[in-house]
Amino acid sequence: MKKGTADISSTIAAMKRRSVLKGMGGLGLGLAAAGSGFLASRRYASAAESLNYMCWEGYNAPSIIEPFQKSKDASISIDLITDSAGGFAKLAAGASRDFDLVSSDSPWIQRMGPAGFCRYIDEADFADQFAEFYPQFRAPFEPLAFEGKATGLPTRWGWVGPTVNTKFDKLETWSSYAPVFDSAYKDKICLLDWGDWPIMPLALYAGVNPYEELDAAALEEVRKVLRAAFKNTRAIVADLAVAQKGLIDGSFRALIGGGTYATSALRMKGHDYIQSIVPEPKNGLKQGIIWMEATGLIDNGKNSQIASDFLKYIVSPDVAKQLAITEATCNLVPNSKAEALFSDEEKKALQMDYMWTAWDNSQFHTVAPNIDDMLAIWQEELAAR
Amino acid sequence: MRIERKSWNDPVLVATVAPLALVMVAFLLVPLLMTAVLTFQTTQYYRLVWTWDLKIWTEVFSKPHYWTIMIRTVAMALVCVVLTVLIAFPAAYALATRLRTFKTQIQILIIFAFLTDAVLKTFGWILILDKNGVANWLLMHVGLPPEMLNLLFTPAGTMIGMVYNLVAYPMFTIYLSLVRIDRDLILAAYDAGASRVRTFFEVTLPLSRPGLYSGAVLVFVLSLGAFLEPKVLGGGTSPLASELIRQSFETRVNWPLGAALTVVLIAIGALMLVACAAFALRRTSATGRSA
Repeated sequence: MKKGTADISSTIAAMKRRSVLKGMGGLGLGLAAAGSGFLASRRYASAAESLNYMCWEGYNAPSIIEPFQKSKDASISIDLITDSAGGFAKLAAGASRDFDLVSSDSPWIQRMGPAGFCRYIDEADFADQFAEFYPQFRAPFEPLAFEGKATGLPTRWGWVGPTVNTKFDKLETWSSYAPVFDSAYKDKICLLDWGDWPIMPLALYAGVNPYEELDAAALEEVRKVLRAAFKNTRAIVADLAVAQKGLIDGSFRALIGGGTYATSALRMKGHDYIQSIVPEPKNGLKQGIIWMEATGLIDNGKNSQIASDFLKYIVSPDVAKQLAITEATCNLVPNSKAEALFSDEEKKALQMDYMWTAWDNSQFHTVAPNIDDMLAIWQEELAAR
Repeated sequence: MRIERKSWNDPVLVATVAPLALVMVAFLLVPLLMTAVLTFQTTQYYRLVWTWDLKIWTEVFSKPHYWTIMIRTVAMALVCVVLTVLIAFPAAYALATRLRTFKTQIQILIIFAFLTDAVLKTFGWILILDKNGVANWLLMHVGLPPEMLNLLFTPAGTMIGMVYNLVAYPMFTIYLSLVRIDRDLILAAYDAGASRVRTFFEVTLPLSRPGLYSGAVLVFVLSLGAFLEPKVLGGGTSPLASELIRQSFETRVNWPLGAALTVVLIAIGALMLVACAAFALRRTSATGRSA
């Protein structure tokens, strides 16, 4: 790769000489200037090693990427995903040959195992990283396992429950999802249009555990609860800023399906009256959901060491702390050592005093066997609304 | 006028047409064909399985909700066509006749609005239609009750966004038709005793039909693919076809289903255009016969 840089430079120099000789000085200088600019901007592209990385926002922050590039003389090409399922589909369609690692929602990292393009984590090699995690995330970590092997490492997490503006509603009101179906909240509910995220909590309220195999009767219950929820729903919003704005000004009394992912950045900006809570268990069924992002290595035949190094880097305490607090969202991280790096203000914004309560009252967001049936029901009920 | 007949054996003609034909084949026909082929495939664990199967088409034709959304999309597109034309025609007429002094300035303003990114424009409407937005603020200041307008996250909000984002198309096509009308024809109508209104309906409007039709077609086709407006201003509660297709491709990772719905939407659009073209031709020939 270094050689490649020298070749390009000499070619440009030769072009410059020829240009001058042919009386095309202006064009030659232009080419040289463009060439030097190109080389400067492609500095990392000429690095010793390269890494193709598919990830969500936040993971691509220059403060995270650049120190790694410098220290390893590596270039990282980022492919940002805005939809976990879409990112997985891209990999499944053949892009897995091009990428070295991916950061996405944990069910999609776990799915890389059965899909056949996962480079499994050697737990012994990552023993130091697992040792730094909270006990809940240490190996063997079931939500990311396939056939007993780890498909990735957890990188960010939070919980899904009602997100409430306490200026308008008491938290106790939302100790259950009942207000979603209460006529007093007509046109005051916002569902987050984030794939299966709004479906799962509503299914739990209907008494159906969506993470288990569902029969026709259970799917009918999911249909009924979605139909009832749509009656009070003012908007199904994919854009986080629109949802947050509505929550702050009271247009929406609760966001369903966003949880801490929709909350913490607002709290960080001083809106500490916005909270995400986990409802009380209903008939023995935990109503909260723990979501998690994970980073996994992709089996592209290269067995790249630098990809493993990056995975260790991204879960290290300092980087985990940066990953937790980004401009768009703020989230918890599984590294327990990172906790000491957060200020009190940041801990408060992340609702760290509540995190294990939420954990204890939640299901883990993992692969749901009937997810396509539930998404189809969502489409059907929305069309019939 | 002598009409020169050209043969497909003429190498100059072939060389002239070939590049465009190649581009059309490579970037329109082949992708369309691939989309159609995709509809007969199946997926297994989010991966395409290359088979020939009618499973997806059976699903499309057996689930009424797909058709509900398709019909809603066509209805919204037709309403959008009517509203944009109703707004665009007087504006274009004024631009071509009454506002000629400020023509350039107004055209620049319209072009600026037209070239501004649709995402920005659509999100901008939130600030206007929001319950605490500019529209309600103005209404409140003229003595009307607070929060009177409740258009955000409704189908009316979607329509406002669609009309706003698309109105420039018919405005320009109609304007171009209007400025090409021979002024002498209008003056001749006046000389023959026709009133301004009659002149408009019997001379100006018929002669501006090409621009009117082409603007309407542009708006209709673009409305069928409206994505941002129903999502951002409509609040996602009344999804249109493009959102259904997105959900199928992205959220459900069911590419054959997404492809089948795309084919359905294209077919509906094409059929509507053929029907409109037949109607327009009939009108034109009827006008020709009566003249």
